[in-house]
Amino acid sequence: MQERRSPQPAVLMALLLGCALPAHSHHSSAMFDKDVVREVHAVVKEFQWTNPHVWIQILIENESGDTEEWSIEGGGPNTLFRSGWRRDSFRPGDEIDIRFNPMRDGSAAGGFIGAKFGNGSTLGKWQVS
Amino acid sequence: MPRVTVTPRFVRTLLSFALTLPLAAGADGGDALPDWSGVWERYEGNGGMFDVATTRPPDGRAGEPGVRQHPPLTEAWERKYRETLEVVAQGRLPDPISVCGTPAGFPRLLALPDVYEFVVRPEQTWILTENGPNIMRIYTDGRAHPPADELWPMFTGDSVGRWEGRTLVFDTISMIGDRQTILDRSGLTLSDQARISTRMYETDEGLLRAELVIIDPVALTEPWNVTRHFRRLPPGTRVYDYACAENNRNPITDSGQTLTLGPDGRVIDREIIED
Repeated sequence: MQERRSPQPAVLMALLLGCALPAHSHHSSAMFDKDVVREVHAVVKEFQWTNPHVWIQILIENESGDTEEWSIEGGGPNTLFRSGWRRDSFRPGDEIDIRFNPMRDGSAAGGFIGAKFGNGSTLGKWQVS
Repeated sequence: MPRVTVTPRFVRTLLSFALTLPLAAGADGGDALPDWSGVWERYEGNGGMFDVATTRPPDGRAGEPGVRQHPPLTEAWERKYRETLEVVAQGRLPDPISVCGTPAGFPRLLALPDVYEFVVRPEQTWILTENGPNIMRIYTDGRAHPPADELWPMFTGDSVGRWEGRTLVFDTISMIGDRQTILDRSGLTLSDQARISTRMYETDEGLLRAELVIIDPVALTEPWNVTRHFRRLPPGTRVYDYACAENNRNPITDSGQTLTLGPDGRVIDREIIED
């Protein structure tokens, strides 16, 4: 596993709200806390380019220094493709900074907001307006 | 006088041209049918609220607590809607389409995410939604609705209509209603006695406009007028498989809770709501 720059998850309270999921979701997004934005540095384990939602499986280091796998849910691949995403937008081993609305119950999952790659490019909502 | 040689290629060309003629004429041989080709998407936002005009708060999104619309509901159906809104606020609305098994139905199919195609033929028009997918057939070949003993409640109902110039006018009955469809994620429903008259035409601004008059002797006190629009996407835009069941990692429990599955298929929610 590649070394990560920032092992500790950070929470950006109310700086960048909203979730990329609801507009194209096939299910309720009530499980995500849209009032909380979490940003973590992560390593991509797997990118599932599938219907009805894409999933980014990421590895992050928790406060104890252990590695955890989190599931980040995005919109549907069709509309994401038309907005510039590709099936290899996330590749295994990519180091990224990723923002998401975490699950309300603390489960290891969240609704995708945006991601920033090592070359500075971004996907989704990244700029804080 | 120039001499014309009748070759097989000439005949094929002539035949191909002749076959296009019915497409360019109305069912009655009058006005040309409109060109609604290409790919469209819904123009109204609001996260899929069906009647944006009566949605409160105005920028509220379907599925968010406290967001609702205001059709002229009877007292009983207003009470029923309020009870559903409480379930929505708890994040436990059992949206029928979330289980990847049944169509969204009409009229909800006019308020879906992803994209649309409107295929116009003299004898019928198809509304194809990428999300679902849904297929709605609107017959314009002069037929009437089937007799009552040949009808049963269906998700999309039965639609027959006609062209008035470049406006598609059609009537839809026999929708399945509150048994298995909702109008949006605020949980609003109509009964299976609803009847919807729709006028669809392209506006001067290039939007496709659908004007609906909804009558429901069970759920509504008076006709409910709803307008929705679609905008055309750039030429060359493609439509793709939706395949909802391909990798649905969000099953719904009997209590209406939407779960999240990990990549191994196991539930990762820490809190499971039970009735």
